[in-house]
Order: sequence, then structure tokens, then C-alpha cells
Amino acid sequence: MTGRIARCGAAAFAACALAASGGPAWAHASDRGHVLLLPTHYYLFGGMLAVALSFLILVFLPGEGLGRLAGRRIRLVRLPFDGRAGVSFLSFLCLAGLVLAGLLGSRDPLSNPLPLVIWTLMWVGLTLAQGVLGNLWAWLNPWYGIWRLLLRAGLPESGWLRLPEGLGMGPAVVLLFAFAWFELVYPAPDDPARLALAVAAYWLFSMIGMALFGYPAWSRRVEFLSVFFGMVARLSPFEAVRRGQGSVVLYAGLPGHKLRGSAALPVSGVAFLLLALSSVSFDGFMRTFFWLDLIGVNPLEFPGRSALVGANTAGLFGMFLLLCGAFLGCVRLGEVLAGGTPVRNAPGMLVWSIVPIALAYHFSHYLVVFLINGQYALAALSDPLVRGWDLFGTAGLYVQAGVALGAQSAWIIWNAQAFAIIGAHVLAVIIAHLIAHHLFGSARRASLSQVPLAILMIAYTVFGLWLLSAPTAG
Amino acid sequence: MSENRKLQMNSASGVSRRTTLKGLGAAAGLIAAPGFVRYGQAQSSEPIRIGFQCHRTGIGAAYGRWYERTTTAAAKRINDAGGINGRPLEIVIEDDGTDPKRGAEVVEKFANQHKVDLVYGTLFSHVVVGSAPAAGELKIPYYVVSEGYHVASGKLNRYCVQPGITDVKAQARSMAPWIADNLGKKVTLVYPDYAFGHDHRDFFTPAIEAQGGQVVAKVPIPPTETSFTRYFPQIPSETEVIYHVMVGPAVLTFVKEMGEFFGNSGPKLFGFIDSLEAVDIKSPGLEFLEGSHFWEGMPRYAQPDQADYVTAYREAVGIDENGASTQDAKDVSTAAHMFGCWETLNIIKAAMEACDYKGTDDRAAMIEATEAMTDMEAGADHPQGKKRFNGKTHQVFGEQSISQVVDGKLKVVHRTSIEDGAYEPEADYTAMSF
Repeated sequence: MTGRIARCGAAAFAACALAASGGPAWAHASDRGHVLLLPTHYYLFGGMLAVALSFLILVFLPGEGLGRLAGRRIRLVRLPFDGRAGVSFLSFLCLAGLVLAGLLGSRDPLSNPLPLVIWTLMWVGLTLAQGVLGNLWAWLNPWYGIWRLLLRAGLPESGWLRLPEGLGMGPAVVLLFAFAWFELVYPAPDDPARLALAVAAYWLFSMIGMALFGYPAWSRRVEFLSVFFGMVARLSPFEAVRRGQGSVVLYAGLPGHKLRGSAALPVSGVAFLLLALSSVSFDGFMRTFFWLDLIGVNPLEFPGRSALVGANTAGLFGMFLLLCGAFLGCVRLGEVLAGGTPVRNAPGMLVWSIVPIALAYHFSHYLVVFLINGQYALAALSDPLVRGWDLFGTAGLYVQAGVALGAQSAWIIWNAQAFAIIGAHVLAVIIAHLIAHHLFGSARRASLSQVPLAILMIAYTVFGLWLLSAPTAG
Repeated sequence: MSENRKLQMNSASGVSRRTTLKGLGAAAGLIAAPGFVRYGQAQSSEPIRIGFQCHRTGIGAAYGRWYERTTTAAAKRINDAGGINGRPLEIVIEDDGTDPKRGAEVVEKFANQHKVDLVYGTLFSHVVVGSAPAAGELKIPYYVVSEGYHVASGKLNRYCVQPGITDVKAQARSMAPWIADNLGKKVTLVYPDYAFGHDHRDFFTPAIEAQGGQVVAKVPIPPTETSFTRYFPQIPSETEVIYHVMVGPAVLTFVKEMGEFFGNSGPKLFGFIDSLEAVDIKSPGLEFLEGSHFWEGMPRYAQPDQADYVTAYREAVGIDENGASTQDAKDVSTAAHMFGCWETLNIIKAAMEACDYKGTDDRAAMIEATEAMTDMEAGADHPQGKKRFNGKTHQVFGEQSISQVVDGKLKVVHRTSIEDGAYEPEADYTAMSF
């Protein structure tokens, strides 16, 4: 069978040449067409100005006062129990059900709940929820509950093996890259059966890892979703602090207040956060006419993902390297400008300022997908195996694609995206400034150190807005 | 496992099958049993399974959504009327990602895993061309709905047919007589500089010349272009008609800039609705199109004099007077093309009944039965209009609509004849072996 697929694939490839003279391959006018008519260049200029002005204002603001304000938090409520294990176990059962649906349910990726839950509800919805509400993943991940059961059965808490210290978060970086590649480059990430196998394999791999090396070490350094969601949750105004056995106290502060006090990340942690941002950036970039033209693809005759695997793999990696180079270069240049005693691990601290940008990119790039596929997900979850069930009363939901169609929707969506991108960069500048105050001591040194990074933020604001307003295909 | 990999369609009004299920359950006062399909009169036999190669994801997803809705509505109508040869119709959806390589894999999956009777429904040309060799190799009928010239060109194989939608060559040719008689004989072509645009250039030019007209200029526009003002000076002042077939996200910009360039004094405009399929004609930037003319495969807007079967078709598929979803006025349909799904399923039914199709051993007989088809009268099975199938080229020919933008809506002003678009066969699939 593999042989036949290979032959069919070769035939398909050869046939593309024939298609070029065969007939139309339509490029949909699409809703980016409405955005092309909007005065987006004003937004680009305005965004640039807003981020630059924020930086200038910060230079003249007393850092201590801002720091104190950012450090304030209020106690909200004390939860008398820690239900993480129970919730996690339920989450595992749900995941098992979804994998089953992936294997046995509809082959249509918009009727099968697995791709919709993984790509829309988890990767988009949960990421945004983490940024707003805090680390829900600590409760929702499908491993913790099982691991606690294994502990009861006699498994040592830190497992039997140790991860080499030198690895840092390296394994999580590799896994995040693999995940991003599967999502953005692999030709069929939505195929329910293939996704079911990938999800099941990854769950098993992680469970074995957690058993062997202990849940804490594995979830902090290898399991990329825990690492990613944990980082994003640091932007949330809410913080749960465990008080002894079985009780949790919930606090609230300003968005991002937790980032200021976060410990410096190792080099691999810096790479992880920058990969998270660069992969979402590449998701937008790889659809632009600019990129397609660069790799010799006619955007009006988009050939499909299969034909772009090589170019997009290189692009994904290239964008990661480019962002790493720009970020590390700016931090280093800032240190040189600030002068005085060298600071220990400035990139590891300052990289936390990337979190709001990563979250805003996530919001902006996946907003339309979330609005539409979120509806498909609601319908699919009510009837996961296509047997005519209506578990949640949403099986008959008519998917309103119109929420993202037409000139008016394009205007609303564009404004929401632009507001998120600009706002996040302003927040990033503030956070970086506070971290720099802490790192460099004096206001003068802190401000000088931030000049290159502020320029990078301004450039990334413009880039982010351009990605959302440039003509796209695919 | 694969037995459950099926989407059993029996839904109403072209919306999601889930909506229908709910509706049916309520109507029947029953909770649907596993499999849940009620086939009307056709409930006792093994279903006929059709593999629907659907653009669920990728660049064709907006079209795929409406192809799916139309397919659902057509399948329900067939099942309600007793199915095919007394057997219910079952649609199995696989997503091809609008990708030719995946298209070939999907055909293979349909044949070997789902064991469907035939594959149907592909729209994008490159996916058709990429999948056709697999269909030929696996000897499975492949009924496409793509309007590409690739079928009639003879470059595919005997298992590939396009009986439910006309091809671009016939469409472009059939416009020439009316344009020459009503808009003018001196035409400038503005088209994207790649295969799609070249097809229009190559098919329309001889057709307008045959009408005593001439193409006074050809203005190819690079596919990556997003600003067009600098191309308009290339349009000669003697031009009476601009024939434009721009596609892609910059179409709205193209129209807006053309309006700014010509104001009220420009040549007449003639376009193909492909440029603005699924886009609201009343969108900002498109004001300049008022009074201009378009080709439409089937009218998007309800026409005052439309036949009852057209009204019934529109109701079944679920589109309102403006060609948008009855449940979502902003979701404009791909009306000019999606009727092809409806008609193709009806032709599949007719072919299966003609050859008394029993199972996969009759696949070749089914193709032969399709090849034997000729005239198809307009009606409930063919709401777009009268058609004539050419068994040699595996391509159908039909009437087309020419519509004018009046108050931001498309009003049909002329119907072309089948002869306007017909051309001599350039291939003979019947001479190929199975």
C-alpha cells in the first residue's frame, strides 16, 4: 500500500505540471481582500509610535514606583482542596475518548472532535485562557492524575532516573519544534486518524518519561505543552499559591506581575520562548505573497502543503534563528550601552518580556480560526462518533461562518488584532523595563540597556501588523 | 474501524447533517439509532457509497463548505425519493487539504479502505489532475465538479468524467457572441499572468475574432501584484470592452483602482464571477461594478422569473434571495459553481440506474452508461439548465448566464445557448481501455 501511495504521490507531483496548462485553480478573493482596502498603513505607523512613546515615557518614570505597583497583589480566595489529580484524571479520560473518536469517528476534520479540540480548543483557546486565567493546564493536563495514581502504587516521586542537567529545557525546545512543524508544515495535521496516533504516541511517551524521571522534572524540561502553558500563564493576573497539603490560595495582581519576579531562564528556556513566538509568526509569514514569491510559488495557484514541506521547514527554522539572533543581539548591545559591571544572564531575564507578544500573536493569528472552528468543535463534541447523538444540545448547531466574512467583520477583526499586537508590545516594553531596573540597578543604565530591545519591539510591532494586513494565500 | 468512518448523509436544507438529524429525530419522535440513517423508501438495501473528496481545509475550504452543503442537500433529495436502484446513498467525506498529493492518497483510501463505489466532488484543478492517475490506476470512477478544461483536453483517463459543470473553454467561448453584439467588438483582456488567465486569453481570443471582434490589447498582471493603477494606461483608448478575470485577495483593490482610474467614462466591463465568488457584491470598493456584466454558471441572486425547480433547489441547499445562507446572511454561497455537485449526483444516479449498477464490478459499465448520455433537460435534476454531454470528451456543455450588476445585485440579462460554447472534441476517452 505504501508503494501505491508513493506511486500515486509521484503521479500527483508529475500532474501538477499538467495542471498548469489544464484549467483554473481559483484563488478565493477571501477576507484579506477587505483588509487590503483598509488604511492599515496608519495602524502600522500608529503602532510604531505607540510602542516608541511608551518606551520614552518609561525612561522618565521612576522605576521603583512602577515596580511597587506591579508587585501589588490582593488575596482573593482560599480553596480548601487541591483537585488537580482528579481533574487531570478526568482530562485523561476525555483525551482517551477523543483519541477513540479520532480513530473511529468521522473522517471529516470539521466533524471529528479530535482535531477541533487539539488545534482549536487547546492550542488556541486554552493558550488564551492560560494568559488570562492562569495555569489551568496544571489541572487539565492528562498525565498528573495518572502519575499520582502511580505514586500510590509505589512509584518514587522523582522517578528512577535523572535528566542530565546540561540538557536544560533542550528536549522541550526540540518537541515544540516538532509540534510546530506538524501543525504548520506537515501536509495533514487535521487528519483525525493520523492526529489520533500522534496524540496517543505523545501521551504515552510523556507518561513513560514522567514515570522514569518524575513528573516535576519532566513537565518542567521536556513536556513542551506544560512548559509553554506555564510560561504563558505567567502573564495572567491570577496566581495560585499552594499552602501546605491540599489547599490553594488565589491572588490577583496586574497582568504580567508574575513575569517580573520570575527566575532567569537558561539558554534553552530563552530558545523555547523565542521558538514559541517565531513559530506563530511563521504561521502568518508562510501565507504571505512575499514568502510564496520568495520560494517561487505563485500565490494564486497555491500548490498545497505537500509541495512546500522543504521550503517551509527551512522557513520555520530560519525564522527561529533570525528571532534568536535579533533578540540576543539587542540584549547584548544593550549591555554594552549600559556599561558598568556585566549582568548575569540578562537574556534569561529579559526574555520574559516576550510572553505578552507571543500571546498577542496567538490571539491575532488564530482569532478567525477560533471563531469558526470553535463552532464546529461545539457541534462535533455533541456527536463525537457521528452516531446521531446530541450530548450537549449543540449537535445541530449551524456554523455561522459569517462572523468572519465580509467587510464589516474584516474591520472588527483587524482592529481587535491590531489592538492586541500594539497593546502586547507596549506591555512587553514595560515588563522589559522593570526587569532591566532590577538587573542594572540605576535608571540610567536600565534605560540605556533597553534602547536596542525597544527598537526590536517597535520593529516587531510593525512586522506583526504587516503580517495581518499583507496579501495572503494558503 | 473503517466501517464507522462514514458520514451518512440524510440532512435537510443543505445545512449540516447534524441539524437535520436533530430535525428528523424530532419529527419522527425517535432518537436515532446507531447509524441513524432513515432512507425513506430505500431502507432495506446495502447503501451505495460515494467518496466525497472535499476541500475541507486548505485554500479551497470556503468552496468546500458550500460543496458539502449542496452535496448534503442533493443526497437527501435522492434518498427521500427512494435512493438509487432502491438503495440508499451514503456520502463518505475525506479532506484532501486542497492538495494534489493528498488528493491522490484520498482516492486510494476511498478505493481500498472505505471501499466506496466511486469518488466524486473535487473542485480545484490541481487536485483533480493530481488525483486522476490514482483513480485510473485503481479503476474507480472519478466524477469531478471542477470546471477545468483538463477533462475535455484528453489528458486524464477513462475513469474521469465531468458531467455536471461546463468547462472554462466553453464558458469563455460562449460569452463572445453576446459581448460582440451588446458591449463592443474591441476588447482588452486584463488577466493574471498564469495558467488561469492564459486559459481565458487563449479561449476567448479566437471566439471574439469569430464574431468579427478583435482583442486590441492583452494586459497580463503578475500574480503577486496588489496595486494595479500603473497597468491601466496599457488599456488602449479605442477599447470598448474590458474583459477581466482577476482573482485572489487583491480583486477588490483591482476593482476600486479601476473605478478611480476610469471614473464614469471608461469602457464597458465584462468579468467572470469567479473573481468575486462568495464575496458580497455590495462590499465597499466594488461600487464601480454597478452596470457591468458577469458570467455566472448559475445565478447567485433569485430571479423574478426563475422556474419552480430553481426555487426548490435554492431552498434545499439553503440560500436566500441574495445567494447567502438562509441561516447566516453574511455567508455568501459559491452559487455559480456548487450546483455542479447537485447535478453530478443526479447524473451518477441516472448512470447507475441505466446500467443497473450492482456493485464495484459494474464500475466500467457505469462509466459506459455515463458516456452514453447526451441531452439533459433542465429541471429538478438539472436546475442550472439544459445540458449536452459529450461521451468522447467526458465533458458536459450547457447554457450560461450573463448577468448585470443592478443596485448591487446580479440580474440575468441573457442566457447563452449550448452551441455558443460547444467546440469540436479534442479527445476520445471511449477509445481508451478500462
